[in-house]
Amino acid sequence: MKTLFVSIIFIFFCSYALRAQDAMSTTEQIIADIFEKFTAESDETIDYESFYDDLMFCAENPINLNQANGDGLGKLQFLSEIQIENILSYIYEFGAMQTIYELQLVEGLDMTDIRRMLPFVRLGESDNPKGKIYWNDLLKYGKNEFLFRLDKGLETKEGYRFTPNEDVNVPTLNSKLYLGNELYNSLKYRFHYKDRIQVGFSGEKDAGEQFWGATNKGYDFYSFHAQLNNFGKFRTIVLGDFRANFGQGLVLHPEFGMGKSSYVLNVTPRSSGLKRYSSTDEYNFFRGGGVTLKLGKFDVSAFYSNKMIDGDTVNGTFSTIIKTGYHRTLDEFSKKSSVNQQIVGGNVTYTNMNLQVGFTAVHTELNNNLIPDKSVYNYFYFSGKKQTTGGVFYRYRWNKLNLFGETAMTDNGSVATLNGCYFSPVSQVSLVVLHRYYSPEYDTFYASSFSETSRINNESGLYIGAEVRPFRKWKLSAYADSYRFLWPKYGIDAPSVGNDYLFQADFTAKRNLTMYWRFKYEDKQTNLSTTGVVMPVVVPLQKSSLRYQLTYSYLNFSFKNVLEVNLSKQSSDNWTYGVIASQDISYAFPRIPLKMDIRFQFFDAQNYENRFYSYERDVLYAFSIPMYYGLGSRYYLNVQYDLNKHLSLWFKIAQTVYSDDRELLSSGNETISGNRKTDIRLLVKYDF
Amino acid sequence: MCLFSAIIFSQISNPLPSSTSIAQTSVSDTHNWAAFNNVAMLGYIEKPELGLLFENRYMISELSTKNIQFSLPTNSVNVGLSFSHFGYSLYHEMIAGIGFARNFSDKFALGVQFDYYSAYFTASNSYRGAFFPLVGLAVAFSPVFTAGFTVLNPFQTNIQTEFVTKRLPSVFSFGSQYFFSPELVWRTQIDKEVSSNYRFATGFEYQMLQKFNVKLGMYCSDYLVSCLGIGFITHSFRFDLNCDVHPLLGIKPLAAIRYSFK
Repeated sequence: MKTLFVSIIFIFFCSYALRAQDAMSTTEQIIADIFEKFTAESDETIDYESFYDDLMFCAENPINLNQANGDGLGKLQFLSEIQIENILSYIYEFGAMQTIYELQLVEGLDMTDIRRMLPFVRLGESDNPKGKIYWNDLLKYGKNEFLFRLDKGLETKEGYRFTPNEDVNVPTLNSKLYLGNELYNSLKYRFHYKDRIQVGFSGEKDAGEQFWGATNKGYDFYSFHAQLNNFGKFRTIVLGDFRANFGQGLVLHPEFGMGKSSYVLNVTPRSSGLKRYSSTDEYNFFRGGGVTLKLGKFDVSAFYSNKMIDGDTVNGTFSTIIKTGYHRTLDEFSKKSSVNQQIVGGNVTYTNMNLQVGFTAVHTELNNNLIPDKSVYNYFYFSGKKQTTGGVFYRYRWNKLNLFGETAMTDNGSVATLNGCYFSPVSQVSLVVLHRYYSPEYDTFYASSFSETSRINNESGLYIGAEVRPFRKWKLSAYADSYRFLWPKYGIDAPSVGNDYLFQADFTAKRNLTMYWRFKYEDKQTNLSTTGVVMPVVVPLQKSSLRYQLTYSYLNFSFKNVLEVNLSKQSSDNWTYGVIASQDISYAFPRIPLKMDIRFQFFDAQNYENRFYSYERDVLYAFSIPMYYGLGSRYYLNVQYDLNKHLSLWFKIAQTVYSDDRELLSSGNETISGNRKTDIRLLVKYDF
Repeated sequence: MCLFSAIIFSQISNPLPSSTSIAQTSVSDTHNWAAFNNVAMLGYIEKPELGLLFENRYMISELSTKNIQFSLPTNSVNVGLSFSHFGYSLYHEMIAGIGFARNFSDKFALGVQFDYYSAYFTASNSYRGAFFPLVGLAVAFSPVFTAGFTVLNPFQTNIQTEFVTKRLPSVFSFGSQYFFSPELVWRTQIDKEVSSNYRFATGFEYQMLQKFNVKLGMYCSDYLVSCLGIGFITHSFRFDLNCDVHPLLGIKPLAAIRYSFK
């Protein structure tokens, strides 16, 4: 029966998929689009390199669906927990998939999801994941990649301006001026053999940092990593720079954490264990080594990290960990690597068919005392030299309910707990409910999970999300989140409450024509911005936005239009508005390996609360979500050219022009005279 | 799909001629290429055409715009030439452009135009000018529904003199066109010139008789302006007469004639 059904689906679907090929984006574009959906309106800096790297690695080493487990499919972050469960149960119930088109029979997967999955999955013979590795194979099938990137702003910033006589001693006399030139540069090398061995090295210099001189001899930041998978009992061995992600992120998750986005069902981060770190973020990683052992149904991990971090250290104490990675001025350079941080941690996870439960513990030790400058909002922030955090997490499938959660505690007795449930009563409807409580006193170094803010503390709330597919071609997504800050937060000088709502309707009219409407409403509290207020006064702040996006492709052209309008109101002030509209055109030349993206964007945001964040295409491994505020326009040209099958070039030039009569852009050392800001970026990739 | 439209004819864009599309909803008008409007519409031209246009603002002879345009279809791209003059002897502005556009299988059309703007400055008794581009796109989502987009002077180029900075119009526009029937079309448009207010426009054009059509529309920027028009088509000629009724400033008539070569 299944074979017959599959055959019918195959014939029906095959023609669709073949026709769909011309509209399919490249893998790079698919990854960028997924990331955009997660972060489109985020004001947080999210490490795109790691996100891209993980999915690109899946594209180069596709997941064998018939052998996959929850952890494997969990790497595809755009799939919800329910979708992963449905794929696994389909294979369990009906046996191995005979064709990739069988995915259409899996409940809860629509054509958009399947198209997104295709580059990252495969079907095939059972692999021997622990097969012996020979040197010859390593040399023959191993893949090497070099990346070289340069960025430069065309307008001279204040930090690079020297006195008229260009005195070489000026930077040392004025500790605020940049020491180096305006170029950003990074160099990376990577090697991988299937998914068994990965080795890499990178060096980076930010704009303004010195490359060769009194402060630096070479790059400002270096990173090395090596990862071995499935060697005997060792599931993973990592050396050099790495990350450790366990549970739902309340104890350890130093990278991209899920949160509120238009993927309304993807709310908690995935437990990906130990993995290499190949990005250029200079804080969110560990430096040392770790192993994960596979012992029957148990995975046991242990790791140790010892690295220097930046802090404003004075007499053995510092008030802030500086995470920017900038060492451009003497002031910034004096804070570089001034604190030693040692971390030791471990995890034990038990997994069977319906249950996963694990325990994570981590101990952090600093050589200097962290003593935050005490304000009301940071009264409960961690201070001291040592901290131990432990947590228990679980996932349990019971009928159609998928329960999950994590509870963590630090050595001061403060608790953070997150518990939720995924539920799909019928295939067209998926629901998620999540409750979190993070005590004001809970503050640990590398936690990242579902939260209204980037910090996991001082919050409680309830989130409900739903995804409904009422008709063919339509998908409705919605969430409602009600939260409370139990103690003052930065910018809110009193305990406060907030609500956040999203509704999105996706319509796939044709294979090459999609659109969505998104409505967001947020109601929270903020400090009264009037000067001269003695007592803290907290007033309501309301924001709403409506966004329409249309994407359309024809032959080698693809187009995207976005129109978004927002309204903002603080206290009893009048509503202020913001408008952003853009037109994107992408073209892949048919006879030459050249692709180009062009955008023109207009923005009109009356005040800061009406600001917009908008994703834009970029060179490989780079990702831009510039912020727009004021009146003006922005345009860019992004080009990719493959010189041959080994060597590729990317080039981007972007300019923002403000029309609101401002004569200076940005502030401090970043100040630019005039109303234009132009950036160029070049990337060269060589692989063999 | 409710795509919005926009084209921006600001108060500072004197030399830019209005289009014969009612309420200047030309950004999605696939049957009418208007000089210095959406250049993608040049891609839909099938025969060489020569057009003349005269526009008078509020019955003041000094505030007149004269325009001439010529379009030539070829196998690869269609080419358009246009020239416009505004003003009188003591103050005048001129703009000239050459545009290229192509219609891609009636799915979409793309166009780009290179414009040179110049103005006469009495203070220095000299002309000053600047180049800027005009980019246009029209996408047909179905045989009856088309969306258009255009941007004029995207880089916000201005003219700098010893005494003043002459701001040139930088206009961003979206528009849509919907045919209820082959005789009745409805167009909407939103325009934004960076230093002017938004302009919202909508209008209907109805082919009442085989050779005669009537137009009715309105746009709103600072004021609500009503627009009326008629059109007459013979074998090779097309005549248009439009009139905008401003509640404060009065009437703005426009007359145009276009000849299609065999």
